[in-house]
Amino acid sequence: MSSPTSLTETRHSSPVPRRDAKPKLAVYWTGSCGGCDVSFLEVGEAIVEVLSRVEIVFWPALVDAKRSDLEALPPGSIDVALINGVIRTEENAEMAKLLRAKSKYIVAYGACAHLGGVPSLADRWGKEEIFREVFGKGFRPGPPPGANGEAALPDLLDAAVPLEDVVRVDYVVPGCPPPAPLISRFFGALLGGEMPEPPHVFANVKALCEECQRVRHDDRRIERIVRPHEVLPDPETCLLEQGLICMGPVTRGGCNALCPAAGMPCTGCLGPTPEAGDPGTAMLSALASLVRFEDEGEEYFPKEDGVLEALADPLGTFYMYSFGRFRRKR
Amino acid sequence: MSKRSDARNLSTRHPSRVTRRGQRIGVFVCHCGHNIAGVVDVKRVAEELSRYPGVVYATDYEYMCSDPGQDLIKRAIREHRLSGVVVAACSPSMHETTFRRAAEEAGLNPYLVECANIREHCSWVHNPGLEATEKAVRITRTMVEKVKGNMPLEPVEVSHADKCLVVGGGIAGIQAALDVAEAGYEVILAERSPTIGGHMAQLSETFPTLDCSQCILTPKMVEVERHPNIRLLVNAEVEEISGFIGNYRVRIRKRPAYVDPDLCNLCGECEKVCPVRVPNEFDRGLLERGAIYIPFPQAVPSTYTLDEETCLGIKPLICGKCAEVCEPGAIDFDMSEEVIEEEVGAIILATGYDLYETKALPEYSPEDPDVIDPLQFERLLSATGPTRGEIRRPSDGKVPKTVVFIKCAGSRDPELHKPYCSAICCMYTAKHALLYKHAVPDGRAIVFYIDIRAPGKGYEEFIHRVMEEDRVLYIRGKVAKVFREGDKLIVWGVDTLSGQRVEVEADLVVLAMAVVPPEGVEELARTLRLSCLDENGFLKEAHPKLRPLETLAGGIFIAGAAQGPKDIPQAVTQGSGAAAKAISLLSAPVLTHSPEVAEVDEELCSGCRVCAPLCPYGAITVEEVAQVNELLCEGCGTCVAACPSGALSLRNLDDAQVERMVEAALAELEGAREAVEVKGG
Repeated sequence: MSSPTSLTETRHSSPVPRRDAKPKLAVYWTGSCGGCDVSFLEVGEAIVEVLSRVEIVFWPALVDAKRSDLEALPPGSIDVALINGVIRTEENAEMAKLLRAKSKYIVAYGACAHLGGVPSLADRWGKEEIFREVFGKGFRPGPPPGANGEAALPDLLDAAVPLEDVVRVDYVVPGCPPPAPLISRFFGALLGGEMPEPPHVFANVKALCEECQRVRHDDRRIERIVRPHEVLPDPETCLLEQGLICMGPVTRGGCNALCPAAGMPCTGCLGPTPEAGDPGTAMLSALASLVRFEDEGEEYFPKEDGVLEALADPLGTFYMYSFGRFRRKR
Repeated sequence: MSKRSDARNLSTRHPSRVTRRGQRIGVFVCHCGHNIAGVVDVKRVAEELSRYPGVVYATDYEYMCSDPGQDLIKRAIREHRLSGVVVAACSPSMHETTFRRAAEEAGLNPYLVECANIREHCSWVHNPGLEATEKAVRITRTMVEKVKGNMPLEPVEVSHADKCLVVGGGIAGIQAALDVAEAGYEVILAERSPTIGGHMAQLSETFPTLDCSQCILTPKMVEVERHPNIRLLVNAEVEEISGFIGNYRVRIRKRPAYVDPDLCNLCGECEKVCPVRVPNEFDRGLLERGAIYIPFPQAVPSTYTLDEETCLGIKPLICGKCAEVCEPGAIDFDMSEEVIEEEVGAIILATGYDLYETKALPEYSPEDPDVIDPLQFERLLSATGPTRGEIRRPSDGKVPKTVVFIKCAGSRDPELHKPYCSAICCMYTAKHALLYKHAVPDGRAIVFYIDIRAPGKGYEEFIHRVMEEDRVLYIRGKVAKVFREGDKLIVWGVDTLSGQRVEVEADLVVLAMAVVPPEGVEELARTLRLSCLDENGFLKEAHPKLRPLETLAGGIFIAGAAQGPKDIPQAVTQGSGAAAKAISLLSAPVLTHSPEVAEVDEELCSGCRVCAPLCPYGAITVEEVAQVNELLCEGCGTCVAACPSGALSLRNLDDAQVERMVEAALAELEGAREAVEVKGG
């Protein structure tokens, strides 16, 4: 249903994967839940062919290799390195830089590497507050000492940041985790020798609504805001019209509107469309426009405000995956 | 690498439009006599702007809008090869057109000219001094930044249909139809009832001249019927209006009359044999009619008509007596509904008014046959009415010796009824009282009123005549209750001038009911997809002072009481006025519209439909992607602000321009700051 985006039409004859040789692939996780590593399996049997056509040089979740092995590789010897996870610790940043040095192309794989992801929501609080919350009052900030004074745990960075904040990123395969169609799109381009010119996001330029099968009515409006557990949504109608905050209008398509099709509002994991900019402000202005009553007029303003006040956790709703990217730096 | 690169850097093919290179902007600061120069240091503004990036020429002049002022701009455009012009003067709503035209004459695209409003937004609202000058500099800089991002544009042009639809065949609609037809354009006049004429046909005589209403109306009705450019559709309701200015598609549903107007010879035999008797609408229920009937003898079209609602039954035919006696064979039970679709360029809505129902005022015993509404009284006064002009009360046919007129019945009562003044009641009540006194010289006419409003030509004199010459008793005060006691109606009121309670034994009570919008006008408004009704349900004009005949939908005009209570001269004036508006539209070779409208980037639009329901002009439709009708769009920007994908933008006011304008407005003013320091030191 979803056509490849118009963006993939901009192709260039990348030197990376030479058809005659297997591209050298690295996959690494930084601040990650591990879901991204598992996500490759979602493409099904095709993964077998994919893996047979690449040479894995580094993938901690799959093959045993140490940091020293990576350091030993000559610069630029990896064709493509996929990095998933947020950059949360000093070690995350070091590894990202190391991979950058060893790789021709860096791919931010998944929402955390792309935009900061869910872990970056922690930065609503400062680093010290996070420590205090997690480890209790007596905790002293600073790198914790190692067992025998040699190996020390890496310190946290001041903020959990997307990959592009520490290294140059060439490609993005977005999603939490990336959905199968986009993984296929990426490997299809890589193995077909048709990688688009970087930088490029392997998702649609148009918003999710384009591929959503739900019906949007001419006179759409929101008269109350509800959360998913409070209603059984009508299977046909746009979820926004039913008061569920669906981030579809500000979010890139490419997943075939998987969540809305299943009755769950889109939470925005593919990231904002290129011209939407900050997804929170874009969604808020769309919401402010949709929240209204049949009769309009100033007397309805307090009522409309009341509707918006029912919005629980605006930060988590609007920036569930993108707070690291769009938060204002302190 | 930038620490926080824009998301757009990753992949967008739509970089925001960049400022055109090699800009040569001219800035012209207007004194507006003392209006601006008395508050703002205009020389200083020009001087500051002359140092602003992109500005190659800046000057000031006493009156930029004057011919020498315009010449100054034209000369500078040529001599300095200006690529853009900012006139720092009054609001663009005043002279934007003036300066754009001047620039065009000098060979510069008019859309590269902008006004910086340093009068309404600055000099008029601030005290003289440095701050005002500083603000003027900021405002002007802002517009320089806008002009830098402006693109040369051409007006949008579109062809149009050359017919006009007039909805409603009362006096306003009749006048409008005749004027448009006389100008040579085809008119479709759609009237809901079986005849044109409207309420004016029901009236006896008209204030303040006491002309016979039908005598002055019927010639116009006949003219409508005979006019080669007018296609008259009675029993017809406008079902749907779609499209846009100059290109409206209308669907009109015409109920069958079951009588061929060309064959009907008005003999009236059909009505005599009709077994049905129902109240006659034209006589406000004072008389009865058959299911087949003619509303009144001079009805246009001049024909009997069969009302299928009250007929015993047509499909299948139950009675058929009328057809048996119809000599010319004009009755045809097989007639069926017609749906007429037409393309029209302009639409005039003259849907008229209704009276607020008397039953809304139970304290006045509205169910009593001798408590009547003003149109019923008009019928009693009319020579063609149920009593042939003799005033007899409905209950027993006696001549009433005391008649009480209650004004503001339902009007000027925001708590319980209508908040507005119905405008015509003062005058027709005076007329009613006068005509009653003429018909029953020994009778008593008593008028209860709150205020007397008589601002028309000859109106105040008329009221005086009624009070002084015809000895009508005016009591200032409201009536609390009307109730029957035997043969009489007891009216309890208060005289607020004397502070006394008043009790009158009346034979007849006339309630000057509020004028209200007619039934069905809401559906009509809905089909226009516009918020075109005011809080009382009347059609809303585009601007109460300057655009009283227009709606917010281009090419749709309003005339007469559809917009609010009006008397006949006002309704006729509006009919002619709306006709003139329609004619000027229809006579234009093509319609042009400002190109400064919203546009959709189809590569970005996902069709989420956030925008469409917000558009106050109904300019957006969404299929796969949103589309903006350039002729309907007024460039308000509501959709642009709402669009979550950034797919909508305003031509010559895109996001990048706005961002630069904001930066220019907030940027430090070096010179001004120094001056403040000097002043402070």
